[in-house]
Amino acid sequence: MRDTGRRGLSFYLLAAFFGLFVLFLYGPTVTITILSFQGPEGGLTFPMRGWSTHWFHNLFQQQAVGDFGGSFQRSLLLGLIVMALTVLIALTAGFAFRRRFRGSGALFYLTVASLIVPSVLVSLGIGLLFQILGLEPNWWSSALGAHLTWTLPFGLLIVFAIFNRFNPAYEEAARDLGATPWQTVWHVVLPIILPSIIGVALFGFTLSYDEFARTLMTAGSFNTLPLEIYGMTTNVTTPVLYALGTLTTIFSFLVIGLCLAGFIAVQRRRARRVASGV
Amino acid sequence: MTVSAPPTASGTGARPARAASRDRRAWSLRGWLPYLQALPLALVLLVFLVVPIATIAVVSFWDYDSIRIIPDFVLTNYEWLLTSAVTWQIYLNTLKFAALAWVFTFAIGFTVAWFLAFHVRSVTWQMVLFLVCTIPFWTSNIIRMISWVPFLGRNGILNSALIGAGVIDQPLEFLLFSDFAVVLAYVHLYTLFMVVPIFNSMARIDRSLIEAARDAGATGWQILWNVVLPLSKPGIAIGSIFVVTLVMGDFITVRLMSGGQSASIGTMIANDIALLQYPAAAANAVVLLLVVLLMVATMLRLIDIRKEL
Amino acid sequence: MSERTRDTGRHMGGISRRGLLKGTAAVAGVAAGSGAITGFPTIWAQNIKNVTLRQFGTGVSNLNAVADKVKEDLGFTLQMTALDSDAVAQRAVTQPKSYDIADIEYWIGKKIFPAGVLQPMDVGKIKYYDKIIPIFTTGKLTPDSVIAQGTAPHTVTFVEGKDSTKFAKAPTQWMTLIPTIYNADTLGIRPDLVGRPITSWKDLVDPAFKGKASILNIPSIGIMDAAMVCEALGLVTYGDKGNMTKAEIDKTIAFLIEQKKAGQFRAFWKTFDESVNLMSSGEVVIQSMWSPAVAAVRAKGIQCVYQPLKEGYRAWGGGLGIAKHLSGLELEAAYEYINWYLSGWVGAYLNRQGYYSAVLDTAKEHMSAEEWGFWMEGKPAAKDILSPEGKVMEKAGAVRDGGSFQDRMGKVACWNAVMDEDRYMIRKWNEFIAA
Repeated sequence: MRDTGRRGLSFYLLAAFFGLFVLFLYGPTVTITILSFQGPEGGLTFPMRGWSTHWFHNLFQQQAVGDFGGSFQRSLLLGLIVMALTVLIALTAGFAFRRRFRGSGALFYLTVASLIVPSVLVSLGIGLLFQILGLEPNWWSSALGAHLTWTLPFGLLIVFAIFNRFNPAYEEAARDLGATPWQTVWHVVLPIILPSIIGVALFGFTLSYDEFARTLMTAGSFNTLPLEIYGMTTNVTTPVLYALGTLTTIFSFLVIGLCLAGFIAVQRRRARRVASGV
Repeated sequence: MTVSAPPTASGTGARPARAASRDRRAWSLRGWLPYLQALPLALVLLVFLVVPIATIAVVSFWDYDSIRIIPDFVLTNYEWLLTSAVTWQIYLNTLKFAALAWVFTFAIGFTVAWFLAFHVRSVTWQMVLFLVCTIPFWTSNIIRMISWVPFLGRNGILNSALIGAGVIDQPLEFLLFSDFAVVLAYVHLYTLFMVVPIFNSMARIDRSLIEAARDAGATGWQILWNVVLPLSKPGIAIGSIFVVTLVMGDFITVRLMSGGQSASIGTMIANDIALLQYPAAAANAVVLLLVVLLMVATMLRLIDIRKEL
Repeated sequence: MSERTRDTGRHMGGISRRGLLKGTAAVAGVAAGSGAITGFPTIWAQNIKNVTLRQFGTGVSNLNAVADKVKEDLGFTLQMTALDSDAVAQRAVTQPKSYDIADIEYWIGKKIFPAGVLQPMDVGKIKYYDKIIPIFTTGKLTPDSVIAQGTAPHTVTFVEGKDSTKFAKAPTQWMTLIPTIYNADTLGIRPDLVGRPITSWKDLVDPAFKGKASILNIPSIGIMDAAMVCEALGLVTYGDKGNMTKAEIDKTIAFLIEQKKAGQFRAFWKTFDESVNLMSSGEVVIQSMWSPAVAAVRAKGIQCVYQPLKEGYRAWGGGLGIAKHLSGLELEAAYEYINWYLSGWVGAYLNRQGYYSAVLDTAKEHMSAEEWGFWMEGKPAAKDILSPEGKVMEKAGAVRDGGSFQDRMGKVACWNAVMDEDRYMIRKWNEFIAA
């Protein structure tokens, strides 16, 4: 914020604060990582009983109770479906809200209400509703709906923010050059807002992948990963849970690293294109 | 930056005549388009939010005994709930949690957002730092919750480190299974929900405004207080809504972090549900919903996020 | 039923079981009509291999090893889903179509069965019915036993008729749950940290263990732990600890609040795992505990004792129920599964973990003499005792805490229960938690 170039004292103070914050966020992650290397006899808490990679091997074997593979597949798939639907629905609704239409106020407040209603309630409500209607709840039907009531408000609020930063002059220019509305959206609007859309997608996936309360009474016969893990704690659980956590973290770093590399590559290409005047 | 809701209204002025015929067809569609576009959202919310909540509202008037639930229209559930001193005590306790969580998430969230928005200059770096903050959340919350025990417990990392450093002789007991632990977990879980919207608001602040304030001789604090804070209000409001509603409806964090020794409205509802006392749980839920709606309405009254978005 | 689509998860690749079912249902119907439904080898023995049954329950007994063995012995597929104990009750009642077999506890069964989501089982089709331990049929372990307080399993085991949801006072032809697993809980202690003999439930609130005690955080069960303590202290005399009056609830909760305010409790546990972690991390040195949880702590090389107390045990039991929607071939498969469950292999598996199985005779056939002696007769282990996974649990010469089956199950003071006043109880329990 000072004159460009030199960093002031406030920068270092704030950077230190941010560092502490990140350290705090990683507190459990660090604990999980250390304990995932427990010896074969070790438990979920300290003391360490030797060091080993036993639990990482164990993760891929059948557990006494529960099924990591199946529940992970379901959670991943559900997360991806929720992600896609959240982007699609929030984005189209975002376009709608750029114009005035009757009921827009009501819809907006309904969306905010969706955020406010406690998760347990949504879960119970949908569970009871499916029972009354005689429908069979499933992770891809009732649980999907329950997750959407959670991710859509987030998605919509972010989309609102995107469109407000978006300069309509680009669209006008496209229209003036004879582009159809569809072409305008596809070739002009979407590319510009793409990074923010990725944000919506990430949010949607993260919220769904880790959702517990909303899935509790809507999942049907088979568990999602959070439910499965919680179910597993009704018997002897082992540091295999921590091994799962450690692998997830490593995997997340990889995925995000790759995304970032892709993003930077795109930025560079764009910059080059702008520079060469295309 | 001060732009408000419909940003397209300005674009319909003069346009080349060759587009006119296409426009006429498009116009009839245009009237309907917003409705079509809003339809999926409306449908999802109708089916998975409005109808289930209505179901709960209906069930809250049903009767039940120790064996079964009886469709009926009675007010006993509300009567039991509202005339019990426990209810008020627990509401107060939950509000306390919400207030504490809000204060800390706001203080930390605002500072972090400030750093990211004004001190990290490249968008790529901002993204990197955000993602670094997101990664811990991809490990299942249940696992993270379990890991608080070896982190904060008597023989946990923190106590061992403090004892090792000679700061304390006896392990600190209040770190785990206490209200402190609950609030700590809330701050851990929800600060990012505060950071993101505040950051978003700050990113939209015109940098020349700040320069102008500085040129006029404002100190750093004055800029913070008179320029940045007011302009970050929409973000603060959205973040606050996130945090307050999340805390008000929570039951799992309270239960695990307090070791079952602290109550929230969520745990109260969960206790009812566990014994299949759905009508009682439903009545409790309806009251909770009204309370939270009231809180959010108050916040929205102070800051109209829709106008500012 | 056949228009339902499921099996999307793990078994996506399998043959559509519903499609096959339609074809085989007729055969099954004929067979059922002809009364040829006893024993394992049946006309549809081949078709039954295509059946998939979905079972859910807590992780205590929803073991993958059981599902594997079912596939091996019976040929059909059993899909196990483990949930926490609250979620089990919820799913049983609110999502009756999401399962075929429910593995629930007797006390909550008192509420689940009347919801009409399960169908009673015909005793005539239960091969080992006569060998089921009488706790579950007459309520008496031996003819002269006194029936313990609380929701004793036999009070919710029978209903009056095939379509009835009303519990019968005496055994009938229609059984609600087939007992699978049960046990007697007591205090678990860390002898290295407690430092004195523990003999009574009242030791839980000894000020010496301030900040190091715990009880169960399931309201209807936690309050019974507390009642055991109150009674041991002579503070309250209960008519029935499992069905308290409002005054008794008031006194018990007042006592709990007093103890909580004095800082006696470190935390309350809800899942098996929490009780193990509390104990092995040293957060808690004395708490109500399950026998296998004690074994799990010991398996980590940490001293832990399942301490018999003079007031007796608080017992619980679980059983398998059949979903109402089940019929035809699937229903027959369910009966076969239940008969197999009682035929010994599972019983031995559960006994080896420190639980008890419903038919002891058959379980005995699947256990070695040393195992039987150690787990069931309270004898010193003749050689090392192994867990079902093959790890050494107890060294040769060790004696099981609490002794023999008769010593433990014969000293049950009360069963986990649902009270008539449970609405009031929950309110008071909330008061305790909020205090």
